[in-house]
Amino acid sequence: MAVCTGCSLLCEDIEVALDGGKMGKTRNLCRKGLGHFKSIYLDRARPAVDGKEAGIDEAIDKAAGILKNAKKPLIFGWSNSTLDAQKAGLELARELGAVVDDTSSICQGWIVEKVLRKEIPTCTLDDVRNYADVSIFWGSDPSSSHPRHLSRFSYYPRGEKRQRGYEEDRTAITIDVRKSPTADISDEYYRVLPGGDAGLVEAMISVLDGKIPRVEDKKKLISLVTNMKKSRFGVIFPGLGMVYSLKGRKELLDALVEKLNQSSRYSVIPMVGHYNMRGFNQTLLDQTGFINRVSFQDGVESGPEHSVMEAAKTCDAALVIGSDPVSSLPAAVARRLAGMPVVAVDPHRNLTTDVARVVIPSAASGLEAGGSALRMDGVEIKFDGVVESERMTDLEILARIKEGL
Amino acid sequence: MAGDEMRIVTFRDIFQSEAQEMGRYSQEYQDLSAVVRLDQLDMKRLGLKDGQRVAVEGDSGTVVVTARTSDESPHPGVALMPNSPWSNRLVPEETDESRIPEFKNLKGRIVATEEKVKPISELLEELKG
Repeated sequence: MAVCTGCSLLCEDIEVALDGGKMGKTRNLCRKGLGHFKSIYLDRARPAVDGKEAGIDEAIDKAAGILKNAKKPLIFGWSNSTLDAQKAGLELARELGAVVDDTSSICQGWIVEKVLRKEIPTCTLDDVRNYADVSIFWGSDPSSSHPRHLSRFSYYPRGEKRQRGYEEDRTAITIDVRKSPTADISDEYYRVLPGGDAGLVEAMISVLDGKIPRVEDKKKLISLVTNMKKSRFGVIFPGLGMVYSLKGRKELLDALVEKLNQSSRYSVIPMVGHYNMRGFNQTLLDQTGFINRVSFQDGVESGPEHSVMEAAKTCDAALVIGSDPVSSLPAAVARRLAGMPVVAVDPHRNLTTDVARVVIPSAASGLEAGGSALRMDGVEIKFDGVVESERMTDLEILARIKEGL
Repeated sequence: MAGDEMRIVTFRDIFQSEAQEMGRYSQEYQDLSAVVRLDQLDMKRLGLKDGQRVAVEGDSGTVVVTARTSDESPHPGVALMPNSPWSNRLVPEETDESRIPEFKNLKGRIVATEEKVKPISELLEELKG
């Protein structure tokens, strides 16, 4: 059995037959996971320096030189590396006095932080499978982003106390701006307007307080909250829809969960995207007391000024590992990254490797290299590679760069 | 930006995610990414046909994509774009104190155009400047 590192569900029941450099029969992979496994043979990065193909040793020397000569290097990415590679990367960051940030900085970070600091209750996905009777997909669409979430854990399966699965024992509620594929199969769909989540949370708290909510369709909201209250084991799965909409009113999530927990039992599991983003946030928290946006320039400090959005303006070189910020950040920020010397460590070619001064191809973890990672609920999952590869792992590359300093 | 202003919300599409896993430079990734999905009421109001090219004009930039009739209606006034280097042309660099970009609450106008969708290699050249 293999583990799929295509998303943070880290499905452990994958069977793949790889025959002579081609994908054969597979079992249990979702569409996204299948693409992830097929990527072993597609669009691989090649070692390069200044746009020309280079030897791996030359690329590593050049990378070490760029980072050593930078006054303020940024190390960004992290979420697609194993726990051991993340630890090795942090040793490098300390040595360089680098600014460190990961993808959580522009997505789930603030909710993951509340969970890791135990400010809001959480549970594992195995608890969800065994006990949950209400799953709320709030601004999340697992049918698209984490395709096996509903079948392995949150809706369809039989569990210890949920022997009748979705037919009788479980209710799925989706709150979203669009009738997403998840909304389509949920028992209840509540439409929210863009930016309207804070108002909706306040209205829900009003209902829970026994007051009349200030919304257009009062009956629909009261019925929704009544169903939420009936739950004996409810779980909220916040997606990017909630993350972005509540980012200015973060306290409302705590207030809602606290209120729900007065009459029921509710937990929160953030719908982390990349397979080991939670692992990085936990590793950094253990080492520094912060989950992201850390500078090692002068001791250890953290703050919004060390976010990738700001670091792109103030740093003078970047090491990007297992991430493609030139694709995923706003164009103006991508342009700033493209304008500085970038070292890209990645299994695949992407926009970031194509702007990079140095490209170091890595073995894809879970596909060609083993290790371990934290699933979206914090459970550690160990895995091996499924094919042999001559490419170095992230861990080896980071150690070699550190030696090269 | 007057009466035709729309909210633009980015989202993840499983077919696009699969194509992305298999390579950012494929035609399939472009076809599934450079898209805006509109409620049928908005398609009608703007006089657009499914598959027609449109310019999405925001405060931070303009991008040409293909208009599609949404199958996730109703969401009048809300335009949906898969999160990609095309949609990121519309996301401003400026943020509030959270330093999280506004990926899901953008404003823009949508107008029919004869211009072509830029391939990802061209977007990249423009980023390199």
